[in-house]
Amino acid sequence: MSNSFKSLLIFCIGGLGFVVWGCAPVISIPSSQTRWNRDIQTGEIGSAPEKPSPRAVASLQLTDQGRRLLENGNPDDAIGVFEQAINIDPTNGQNYYYLSEAWLVKENIVQAVEFNRLAAIYLEDDEEWLNQVMLQKERIIRCSR
Amino acid sequence: MVKKKRSISVKLRWMLKWFLPAVLIMGGGMLLYCLYLSSQIDERFSGRRWSIPSRVFSDVTILYPGQKVNRTLFYEKLHRLGYREVFHEPHSKGEFRTLAAWVELFLHDFEVPSRRREGICVKISFVEDLIESIINLNNGEPIPILELEPEEVMLFFGHDRERRRLVSIDQVPQHVIYAILAAEDSRFYQHRGLDPLGILRALYTNLRHASIRQGGSTITQQLAKNYFLTPERTFFRKLKELFMSLTMEIMYEKNEILEIYLNEIYLGQKASEAINGIGEASFFYFDKPVEKLSQIEGATIACLIRGPNYYSPYVDKRRCKKRRNLVLYAMKDKGWILDEELGTALLAPVKAVGYESYSKKAPYFIDYLAYQLTMFYSPQDLSSLGLSIYTTLDTQVQMEAEKALQKGLVRLEKSNLTLNHQDPKKKLQGAVIVIQPKTGYILAMVGGRNHSVSQFNRITQARRQPGSAFKPFVYVSGLDKFTPASILSNETETYEVDGTIWEPQNYAPVSEKKVSVRSALAKSINLATVDLAMRIGLDHIAATANLFGFSIPANPYPSLSLGAYEVIPLNLARAYCAFAADGVLSFPLSLKKVLDENGKMLEQRHTSIKRVISPAKAFIISSMLRSVVDEGTARSLKDMGILFPVGGKTGTTNKYKDAWFVGYTPDILALVWVGFDDGSSIHASGARAALPIWAELISNLPQFVSGNWFKEPSGVVKRTVCSESGQLAIKNRCPHQVEEYFLADNVPLDYCPIHRWAQFRHMIKGVKDFVKQF
Repeated sequence: MSNSFKSLLIFCIGGLGFVVWGCAPVISIPSSQTRWNRDIQTGEIGSAPEKPSPRAVASLQLTDQGRRLLENGNPDDAIGVFEQAINIDPTNGQNYYYLSEAWLVKENIVQAVEFNRLAAIYLEDDEEWLNQVMLQKERIIRCSR
Repeated sequence: MVKKKRSISVKLRWMLKWFLPAVLIMGGGMLLYCLYLSSQIDERFSGRRWSIPSRVFSDVTILYPGQKVNRTLFYEKLHRLGYREVFHEPHSKGEFRTLAAWVELFLHDFEVPSRRREGICVKISFVEDLIESIINLNNGEPIPILELEPEEVMLFFGHDRERRRLVSIDQVPQHVIYAILAAEDSRFYQHRGLDPLGILRALYTNLRHASIRQGGSTITQQLAKNYFLTPERTFFRKLKELFMSLTMEIMYEKNEILEIYLNEIYLGQKASEAINGIGEASFFYFDKPVEKLSQIEGATIACLIRGPNYYSPYVDKRRCKKRRNLVLYAMKDKGWILDEELGTALLAPVKAVGYESYSKKAPYFIDYLAYQLTMFYSPQDLSSLGLSIYTTLDTQVQMEAEKALQKGLVRLEKSNLTLNHQDPKKKLQGAVIVIQPKTGYILAMVGGRNHSVSQFNRITQARRQPGSAFKPFVYVSGLDKFTPASILSNETETYEVDGTIWEPQNYAPVSEKKVSVRSALAKSINLATVDLAMRIGLDHIAATANLFGFSIPANPYPSLSLGAYEVIPLNLARAYCAFAADGVLSFPLSLKKVLDENGKMLEQRHTSIKRVISPAKAFIISSMLRSVVDEGTARSLKDMGILFPVGGKTGTTNKYKDAWFVGYTPDILALVWVGFDDGSSIHASGARAALPIWAELISNLPQFVSGNWFKEPSGVVKRTVCSESGQLAIKNRCPHQVEEYFLADNVPLDYCPIHRWAQFRHMIKGVKDFVKQF
């Protein structure tokens, strides 16, 4: 990934973070494509490339399906798909992030908090995602007030 | 002449006086009767016309490249989903061909709430038991993830046990309508409910053949008879049928009557279930929706109306063909089929796709589900509203769980003949539940050995002592004060409880006087566990246990530490899920969605979670439970082919009344219980009775075995400690050093006191010995 692209990405994420500095039901999504997908599609090798396991790839397919449902205002069906994605690969942290997001849309703060915590565990090695998880946490706190 | 005229006028006057009023009264009476019938018809037609049983579906089955599958189970699944094995290239939906290294599968249309996919032909390639690739044969593109449709698990039947799929007249192809009219009532669109010509023709045909070859009833009459009247043959019933037909014809359009008829007619039998209506019949005989029926298939269904079981292609193909061809000829007579079409159709063989009738699937799971459904729906609603109920059940896991339990129990009975009771109600029992720990999805539930003998669900209704399977909850209670390396006493102690003496014993002799916390749990050492429990405090243990959602509250008795308190097996499985799910307790989920007959969502359930312990504590307990499998009481798992990382705990209660094994990976958790309902001894431990069932079950579910272990969360640190003291090891001094996990805020800070001065003491001893020589 070139430096300029990285800067642009950080700028975009920062901008996105700023834009979503509101409360639910704004859905904050770090990137429309998953990290694995980007690696697969571009063939670029990041700092620590690791070939995703088949089940990680399958789970991310469902993550994308769920994300689309969420973006289309269908949190209930999205939750079902994310749960299925977790059952395939429980280590896919993005599913916990989006589940938290979906519960936030459904105004269930308790579940949003729980899934946000799980997202933090499974995305702690991914700076970009972790940043989003922290922003999500702040949004949840604001919404719970 | 005058007399004759007078006679006529008398007759006319008599007629005017008596006959006309009689006719008018009769006519009025008939009119009133028709009005009465019309209200009956209207009431029936304006409400629900049919009872449609609600259907229960399993979860979807997901396939993806790189996934391990049990190919035997996979093919069984395809058969259960109604796929038919063929030896040619599959060219219609529902067909598949198996070749050595791949399977070509023409998928059914896939439709679940919010998702729909048209059936496509795919090629699934295998390398042994691994899916190498999934290719869409329509365009050659790889498919990253493939979902197989949910499997119908059961139907909530009413008394009639009728299967039916409603169709509208617009869905039925014209050639199918022609076939039905040709077979039953070719002048349907010309008469008004009664067809005198049809009656005469039937009479003539029957006289000519000296047997009943044709009926004179119109479709409207048949509908009146089937829908409103009892089957007995009496004059008054026939009269009522006539009036009802005439009334229906006045009240409804021809197409409305035909539509009701097409949904009503009885068209066959699938084991004990009646196939009603053309919608259900088209799936039963041809595995396709009515819209897709060909002319020949339409004629085949039409030919069944006269005698669904007599002419059934499943009973006698030749007889069916003969009758079908009669229908085709009748179509030809009416000009509803072309000559060339007729020629081809007459020669076509009768083909039906075949069906399998199954015994009850997952009966204990269904009972558990039905119990939850009764909170929303009455049994009558469930058998009539045509709901679609989607569940978390995985039929492959369910069937493997049933098989593993059955085999395990038979094996035990063979190994010890005293366990083999002839009375089915007194037989050795067992129960299995399989859960996905992160989401709480119940994949399988076997509540007993034989549902038809005993419907008592030993997973959800039994209250049994968990024995040592409870110990992890004691150990997790102590993680703030103790560490896996802490040293416990393994010496006999006597405790006084409420004035009575309690002297716990070890299950098997353990020579060491002191053992580590990890070792005490791995080897399930009672004395060390009680020592720990007493040092933690029983109140604290009871409070911690109650956090894990046991529905029977734990009381702070000393014997609690050894699991001498009753639990419901489902609760125990759920509590273990928290260890496998970063300290999060998920609510066990069986019901996912309920949709009405039009696909409208009525109920939806999701995973619901609650944190009960920190991810760090969950990780450390899992690591300790892994030692149970690696070097403790469950180490025989390795001999049974379980070579991937597993955390688990055996459990055996006093006098061998209960045998348990709960084992898990990050992907799947299964609990197995074995015992007698009356609490008799099974003379076997959890490791001998329950563990082999677990091993057999999980070995057959490669799709749930990733081989991964839990990721070390923040808040966990690793240190090298001395196994004798449990404190930080001193390099080159402590003889037995081990790496151990600790909570970041409960790390040993001191160095090993046993070996710290060992060299010095050794030197002093040397000096002393030297001095003694003089």
